[in-house]
Amino acid sequence: MNIHEYQAKKIFRKFKITVPCGRIAYTPDEAREAAQLVSPSGPWVVKAQIQAGSRGIGKFSDKRAGKKGGIRISKTLDDVYENADEMLENQLITNQTGAKGRLVSRVYIEEFIKTERKFYLGLVVDWVAASTVLLVAPVTEKDDAIVKLALEHPDKILKIDLGLQKSIQQKQFQLVLDFMNSDFNADELRAFLNNMLKVFYAYDATLLEINPIGISKDGSIWALDAKIVFDNNALYRHPEIDKLSDNSEIEERELIASKYGFQYKELDNGIGIIVNGDGLALSTISQAEEQEIDTACFLNLKGGVDREKIAASIKLIMTNPRVDGIFINILGGFLRCNLIADGIIAVANDLGLNIPLVVRFEGTNKDEATDILQKSGLPLSIVSDTREGLSILKSAIAEDL
Amino acid sequence: MAVLVDKNTKILVQGITGTQASFHIPRAMKYGTKVVAGVVPNKAEKNYLGVPVFETVEEAKEATGAEASLIFVPAKFAKSAILESIRANLRLVVVITSGIPVNDMMAIKHELRHSSTILIGPNTPGVITPQEAYMGIFPDNIHKSGNIGIVSRSSTLTYEVILEINKAGFGESTIVGLGDDVILGTDFADILRQFNDDPETKTIILIGGIGGNYEVKAAEYYKSLKNKKPVIALIPDDSPLLSDNEGLAPEIICRGIMTAADKRKILSDAGMIAVDGINALKNELLHL
Repeated sequence: MNIHEYQAKKIFRKFKITVPCGRIAYTPDEAREAAQLVSPSGPWVVKAQIQAGSRGIGKFSDKRAGKKGGIRISKTLDDVYENADEMLENQLITNQTGAKGRLVSRVYIEEFIKTERKFYLGLVVDWVAASTVLLVAPVTEKDDAIVKLALEHPDKILKIDLGLQKSIQQKQFQLVLDFMNSDFNADELRAFLNNMLKVFYAYDATLLEINPIGISKDGSIWALDAKIVFDNNALYRHPEIDKLSDNSEIEERELIASKYGFQYKELDNGIGIIVNGDGLALSTISQAEEQEIDTACFLNLKGGVDREKIAASIKLIMTNPRVDGIFINILGGFLRCNLIADGIIAVANDLGLNIPLVVRFEGTNKDEATDILQKSGLPLSIVSDTREGLSILKSAIAEDL
Repeated sequence: MAVLVDKNTKILVQGITGTQASFHIPRAMKYGTKVVAGVVPNKAEKNYLGVPVFETVEEAKEATGAEASLIFVPAKFAKSAILESIRANLRLVVVITSGIPVNDMMAIKHELRHSSTILIGPNTPGVITPQEAYMGIFPDNIHKSGNIGIVSRSSTLTYEVILEINKAGFGESTIVGLGDDVILGTDFADILRQFNDDPETKTIILIGGIGGNYEVKAAEYYKSLKNKKPVIALIPDDSPLLSDNEGLAPEIICRGIMTAADKRKILSDAGMIAVDGINALKNELLHL
């Protein structure tokens, strides 16, 4: 789960990580007021709040925002007002949002802190090593500098394996100091890093990024940005974080599926695919591509066992207007095929079945499930493998049009 | 012989009285799996599904000689259940549970490094030696005994592969599902070694997954292996529908956001036969 920058900074403040003074605003008027409260004379930074990176080099979809990005330094209160006005209720498109971009519903107004040098700091769980890694790298104003560095000069990024350590050891800290080679208070940096670790473990984060920290002339260290990704599986331990989830950026169908513990994703027009695993999803989508069939969306029911949730999720695909045919490809293990069959019938009885539907069952309770569908009298095809299913669906759609 | 599990493996089930275990365990027993005990803290039953139920793994192990544990307990309680099995020095622990927090898995992995237990999973369909026994949630009607060893990070894709290769007349020695999660108890290397040493296994199929560079580690290990058996590695192409990157730079540096093509190249450079789909896999198998 992601949260907004301003929410992450609130957590930082609680853990004594220095952040610039800032306030959130939902309207241009609020932005102006916020600016006056944040700093008497400016300058200020107006920052679009979306849960995706590279906002600074992003572009807005509505032209009223001009060519400027989602992070703007504003010298006067009028500038603050104007920038907020251009960003709010506009879609911000960055290299992490997809082509549609994300709707900016609020902006963060922050005092501008003049800093001399900037570094990227990151804490991330390395899955394979099962340990936390600290990343440090020098960066520029551009917010994708770190990505470029990672791609082109990974050797210029300091990487320290912290294992399960809850604080940084002297030897490791010395590596960081030597690497950064800057004039600042070493004790302050060490406390800063340890506080990052505290946040990381206190809330079951899997990623904590500050891109960048800035070091001001007097040597103090500022978290100019903040990004925290929380482990969805551990949210039950942190109801206060769970509450922060902002669903306004997520597609409604995706949201419903994720509430049920399933995964739903949408691309464009084409067929809807229902599977019960990531690997099967990849394999089905790529076999569809081989047969020149476009995929509109897919639903991954994983190891679902709840009859109602399965039926409600199948409905998401059956009611999607972009879908012109459905392929249900289930290899039951944990998930039992008969539950899917029941779901199909429940939805079809409720809404009718107006588009071609092809079903393939293998594994747990396959025979029972096949029997249920055959007896239902619904106009659907039952097939025995993926390739066959896709080609039958393709011709059925062609006839249907 | 096979790897990890056969008809003589004595198995205890943690969380045996839950809905899922109640459904799957009788099927496994009917298949031939030797389930000898159940473990449920604060147990209400003395016997369940025809086996004695104990409060702790240690007690169950002592009373029944169980050497392996199959874990069905809910994610919230999985960490302590897994640690209990590791501390009881069981040879093998298979974790079906999905949704275990990352932090819990990190702690478990740490403890695992100092033990001799093999942990398979979490979020795995389990381990099956066809026509002998299985620890997990396998559909019991699709596997056939044979000499292909399968190690996989994708459960559903594994079923698909098995159905296809069995149609072509092949069968499996053992199938090991490593789990679909990002942190795995055991990765490819350990299982590759076991298959390579197993006289029943002639060919190995490796099926990749999403997230983490476990395939790269597998390639490094395979390169170092002596007298190696042929490995066919199936890495399906990525789809934009399935990419869920958290942060770009750390993904690149620590988790290797690699394209499927990159992974296939690394695996084939290490001497494996890398393919992108099930049909290609079947063709390679027929030509070996």
